[in-house]
Amino acid sequence: MSILPPPTRPKGSVRWDHAAAWRHIDAVLLAAVAALVGFGSLMIYSATRHNDDPTFFIRRHALFLVLGAVVMVVCAVIDYRKLRDWIPMVYGGITILLLAVLTPLGTEVNGTQGWFQIGSIQLQPSELAKVIVIIALATYLSHAEQPLDLRQLAAALLILGVPMGLIMLQPDIGTVLVFSVIGLGMLLIGGVRLRHLVILILIGVTGVAVLLHSDVLEDYQVARLTSFINPEEAESGQVYNIEQSQIAISTGGVGGHGFGEGPQTRGGFVPEQQTDFIFTVVGEELGFVGGATLILLFAVVIWRTWRAAQLARDRVGVLICVGVLSMFVFQMFQSIGMSMGIMPVTGIPLPFISYGGSALLANCAAMGLVLNVHMRRFS
Amino acid sequence: MEADSTHLRLSVLAVVCVSLVAALLARLWFLQILDTQEYEVASEENRLRVIHEEGPRGRILDRNGKVIVENRSSIVVGIDKSAHEELDESTRNELYENLASDLTELGEPVKEEEIEQALVDDQHGPLELVPVAEDVDEEVELFLAERADEYPSVVVERRTVRNYPYGDVAAHLLGYVGEVNEDELRARQDGDKPYLLGDEIGKAGVEATYEDELRGVPGSRTIEVSATEEYLGEVMEERVEPAPGADVWLTIDIDIQYFAERALDEMMEERREAIQAVGGTFPVPQGSVVIIDPRNGDVMAMASSPDYDPASLVSGISSDLWEQLNDEAAGQPFVNWAIQGMWAPGSTFKLFTAHAALESGFITTETPYNDIGYYEVPGCSGEQCKFTNANEAPAGTVDTEQSLTVSSDSFYYWIGDNFWRQTDLYGETPIQDSAELFGLGQPTGIDIPGEAAGRIPTPERREQAHQENPDAFPTDEWYSGDNIITAIGQGDVLVTPLQLANAYATFANGGTRYQPRVLSKITQPLTLAGDPADPENYEVVSEAAPVEVAEVPISDDVYDEILAGLQGVTTSSLGTAYAAAQDFPPAWPVAGKTGTAEVAGKADTSVFVGFGPSLPLAEPQYVIASIIPESGFGAEVSAPVVMRIFEAISNGQVPAARTLESQATLTEEDSDSESPYGSSDTISGPVYGNDYGGTD
Repeated sequence: MSILPPPTRPKGSVRWDHAAAWRHIDAVLLAAVAALVGFGSLMIYSATRHNDDPTFFIRRHALFLVLGAVVMVVCAVIDYRKLRDWIPMVYGGITILLLAVLTPLGTEVNGTQGWFQIGSIQLQPSELAKVIVIIALATYLSHAEQPLDLRQLAAALLILGVPMGLIMLQPDIGTVLVFSVIGLGMLLIGGVRLRHLVILILIGVTGVAVLLHSDVLEDYQVARLTSFINPEEAESGQVYNIEQSQIAISTGGVGGHGFGEGPQTRGGFVPEQQTDFIFTVVGEELGFVGGATLILLFAVVIWRTWRAAQLARDRVGVLICVGVLSMFVFQMFQSIGMSMGIMPVTGIPLPFISYGGSALLANCAAMGLVLNVHMRRFS
Repeated sequence: MEADSTHLRLSVLAVVCVSLVAALLARLWFLQILDTQEYEVASEENRLRVIHEEGPRGRILDRNGKVIVENRSSIVVGIDKSAHEELDESTRNELYENLASDLTELGEPVKEEEIEQALVDDQHGPLELVPVAEDVDEEVELFLAERADEYPSVVVERRTVRNYPYGDVAAHLLGYVGEVNEDELRARQDGDKPYLLGDEIGKAGVEATYEDELRGVPGSRTIEVSATEEYLGEVMEERVEPAPGADVWLTIDIDIQYFAERALDEMMEERREAIQAVGGTFPVPQGSVVIIDPRNGDVMAMASSPDYDPASLVSGISSDLWEQLNDEAAGQPFVNWAIQGMWAPGSTFKLFTAHAALESGFITTETPYNDIGYYEVPGCSGEQCKFTNANEAPAGTVDTEQSLTVSSDSFYYWIGDNFWRQTDLYGETPIQDSAELFGLGQPTGIDIPGEAAGRIPTPERREQAHQENPDAFPTDEWYSGDNIITAIGQGDVLVTPLQLANAYATFANGGTRYQPRVLSKITQPLTLAGDPADPENYEVVSEAAPVEVAEVPISDDVYDEILAGLQGVTTSSLGTAYAAAQDFPPAWPVAGKTGTAEVAGKADTSVFVGFGPSLPLAEPQYVIASIIPESGFGAEVSAPVVMRIFEAISNGQVPAARTLESQATLTEEDSDSESPYGSSDTISGPVYGNDYGGTD
């Protein structure tokens, strides 16, 4: 893989060993993530400063940023190769949480039973489940034979399927889609046979079709998903969000209306503008320059994550990075694409930009893992 | 192999990632760079609301600058229909009950059922305010404002409405305003004073004719709203301040108008109580008086009775009111009879016949005729060969002058018959031609909409009418009898009071026919605060100049002969209006002519038209015509009305018109004095009977 000679290092000192890992930290990724976090904070502020309490969201966001930083450091510092000792327990724990959230212990928001209300803070276990499933799946697949036989494939699908099924019961179709894409990416790199992959995709598509015609989803969820395909047939209410969002982005033009000056944002024409539709605020207020900058920042994060996968010392590292990569790429494409009218409306937060504590913590953990894999590529 | 496969698959992943990022950038480019225009419009429609504000409508002033129509603010209690529809049944019923009882207690009697009915009525659109009580006190506004939560969907609004300081004076002439309808909107789409549905527009009278001038220049405020229609702020650079419309000055003298209306109304009232010679009472369904300045066509007064209170129309016309205003039994108050009513002019038409006979050379000013009480058509074998004077009395030997003074019918029967006998010499229609020269049989062109054309019958028109409608016009033949009765203004001849006044004005000034008009000038107010008649407060936009429509050839000797005859009507003891002139003696001589037109199955139409001062070196300044149908002889009804007005004008005794306000004060101070003329000169006394020399 690498033809570079192993770097010389002084012997003996454990502390020095740790410092050696830190020396290989991916500063570019760190900088890009920092830039995204800064960008996101500004946008959340802009989107919510016209509320009754203009700093309510940004104060909470700041709190989660501090927590997120801690989580990222923790996830980066603990050697990812030691995670396999912990993962069965953690996986069991999240499964219990996902079950518990369906009981009256959980809280329903916008028709989805997916939150725990702890004091004034809401926690969304499905967000944390994404990272845990990535680690679990990476751990399992790294030990599997290549290519995967059916038994191993079934086991991998089970690891993926248990939390997915529980989330489907909430129901939170957006997160289920994220899980599907994570699984797809990791199986691809994890050595699934191509024909198995094709069959899996076919089953997935059929599954979605059946789902749309079943009673599992509420009518509005189905309508939102399909209105993207047939905008003319959809009712005005379902098209409204996408339309308003596109209008807002379009009027941004090259340079945007200026930070805090977006007329549509100010008027609250785009619903959920601090969460799922946050890219609308970016497009309207910062224009093409801002929007493209944000997309390129994501591209940097994706590139560095892909590169970390490429450079990883072992299969667990590769798979963790690919899992994070899949999650990121899909969430970015879905969230931004939805606000520009090229993807269906389903609530998926834009990583690091959308308001949402659990998602921010999960994303920080995911980035911590990528940094972890990257800086230990020699050790 | 294994590592290669992983690398290959990672490359696939990379390609997917790059494609997705590229797709997002491309879509962003498309939305923000290529397609901006289309979405820009959508965005503005989204969040900007343009609030249209009407500018204050111009005022209407009389010739001396007295304000006849102005604006005032009115407090309206109404129900917002859309908000109301969201209330449940019990809340609604409770609302009706409370609102009705509270308003009634506050001195605005309203019934529960009325509120319910108004809400059901189709008259109001879904977004409109349904008025429950109008012109309420500020006290009511305050009361409701303090209890807004107890009265869901109830709105108190201040509206600007037309105000009429003189009440119903000149109501027909002024017209009224109403909400613009879709046809009017379409017709005026591209004007400089654009309309929106719900805006006011002049619907009749001066309000309609001078709509373009009177209408205020609308302004607009552009406000930005949130998705929930919350007010965010105004876009100041888009603001257009509304500007007031121009003030319209009329040729009307409100004092004379007021006096004329009262004189007419009192006479009509009196006639309704009089007993006809043949028994029964006079219905007197309508009446009208027109006063014109013969020197320029200025209409100084135009009275039509019955009238209505224009203030009752300011917030729309209910179907009940509409029916009432057009009720035939009540004389159709909505019709401006002065320009829309058509009646046979009777003997007042003799002026035109005399003019035709003298100017054509059929007779001279000296030609005598022996009136033996009737005229028998020589060599006649038809149904009617003998035409009798209306009073069946012989007038003896008369020339043109005397024929007018005593109103000899036979003289004119003779002219009518002979003209028809000698069509080779005088043409088929010498009388009609003369009448048309004086402006009869065609609209005068006055600047008020809805004028009737009148009718002057000719052989040709009879034939045409017969062909178009054989049932109504059973014959297409013109007989000498037709010519005979046309000569005395009967038969198919119809004129409007305005036409008659203008025709006499044309004679009075020596033959110049002006287009009658009510507009004097248009001024743009510089301030709305001050007196609109103070030259400091306005600038003149335009001043109306007299419009000459035709010049009627009248030879001097013909003029003198006819004038002498008309003067005799009021000054000679044989004159048909001598008694009226004695009762209301004018300060200067008045020339005039009575007319009593017979209408089959109805009481006579009383007509009088006169002008003065009729002095050797003075130009006549006033022509006053009055037509009062189903009321009796010209000498009995219309002549005293007109002479009463002449008396007041010539003596400079026209009292100032009283505003509603001053009338209210007066009633409080002295409840006895109901007459607008003051206590001394209420029309009373002489009842003009048949013994007044001739029927006419």
